[in-house]
Amino acid sequence: MEIAQEIAQNFGLEWPKFIAQVLIFGIVYFVLKQKAFGPILSMLEVRRKHIEELEADRKKVKEKLAAAENEAKELRLAADKEASRLIEEARASANALREKKTQEATAEAGQIIAKAREATQMEREQAFAELRRDFGRLLVDTTGRVTGKVLTKSDQDAINEEAAAQIAI
Amino acid sequence: MQSLALLELNSLLAVSIQAERLPFADWLTNSIFVAALLTVGILYLASKATNKMTLVPHPAQNAFEAVVDVLYTQIEAIVGKHVAPKVFPLLATIFIFVLISNWSGLIPGVGTVGWGEGTAWMTVKHVSVPVFRGPTADLNLTLGIAAVFMVVWGAITIQEVGVMGFLKHTFEPKGGMKGVMGAFVALVFFMVGIIELVSIAFRPLSLSLRLFGNMYAGETLLHTMGAIGDKWGGIGAFLAAIIFPIPFYFMELLVGLLQAMVFVLLCSVYIKLSTAHDEEHH
Repeated sequence: MEIAQEIAQNFGLEWPKFIAQVLIFGIVYFVLKQKAFGPILSMLEVRRKHIEELEADRKKVKEKLAAAENEAKELRLAADKEASRLIEEARASANALREKKTQEATAEAGQIIAKAREATQMEREQAFAELRRDFGRLLVDTTGRVTGKVLTKSDQDAINEEAAAQIAI
Repeated sequence: MQSLALLELNSLLAVSIQAERLPFADWLTNSIFVAALLTVGILYLASKATNKMTLVPHPAQNAFEAVVDVLYTQIEAIVGKHVAPKVFPLLATIFIFVLISNWSGLIPGVGTVGWGEGTAWMTVKHVSVPVFRGPTADLNLTLGIAAVFMVVWGAITIQEVGVMGFLKHTFEPKGGMKGVMGAFVALVFFMVGIIELVSIAFRPLSLSLRLFGNMYAGETLLHTMGAIGDKWGGIGAFLAAIIFPIPFYFMELLVGLLQAMVFVLLCSVYIKLSTAHDEEHH
């Protein structure tokens, strides 16, 4: 015991000093526990919860964004499909119209050609008739001059008929 | 009354092993004086940090929160989630108080301004009674902190596992052996329990002496390095007093941090060991 007392004395251990130091440390401990660590730990907890909420919100927004992107993708695909269908329909309609117009044009062209052909035929027949008439008259005149006699009406008709028959051949 | 051996020892030491009483207040030692000043400083900073706290922290709050967050994470990792909220305030206070006390010994003027044999106006040959002394270089403080810890440790241990639980945890034979071998094992575990109790009884001493020894040795080392060129005198002594201690200042910064960590880690481990049984059930 004496040795312990001597060691304590050598190191300057004294009850008043010891108690004073314990009190000082106790004050720091008490005040920090009540006024600092409690509020700080509460604040850290509040912040942790706040961050968790923000994280949860972020996840929700991310999920909503993904859903919206999917929806947009589906809408885009549907729109593409609809557009393709409309283009196909327009193409088919255009083809049908073109076909119809082509047929109409062909028919009209055929009519025009037929009319032209008919007109040409009439003009040719008219030309032939005129030619026959002119040729018959010329032949009658020529025959009259060559024979030196006046041809009768029946002679002229016979010559004209014969000439027309020869031209027709 | 100091023994003759102590007087001889103190005359040889560069720094007195005891805290000195201040001439203007005989009831006050220089280490208690500094501890009181540091207490005011710590409480002021804590008040500044916790005043008008906001979700987005202001600089002081941010710094204090960072310290508390790191300490809480470390302590929780050792003692467990259940016990951590109960022991954190004490362990965090020990860390902050010990760290600042350790580093306070490095502030210029601490240990070098004071009373002594005067040689000229405001000049002494040797500072025999410094005004300031690092508080952890006084065994009264380190033993005081260790004693407070042991009281809280005892209370938490009893609260968590109970007296019987603690005795069972200390003395109960493990392994489930029976018969003669079981009796032998029980005797061995009983002896181990006695050793454990002795070890627990010496914890305050081991904790306090380790911290005191390291910090006192640091102060002595710095003092010795500062005085190593005294024999040269003049400018040589002046330059030596600046240059030689510099590397040891950095070392003492590290030692101060390390000792604060060691003190708190050991305290955490002691709590974990005595409450581990209960913690497993939670």
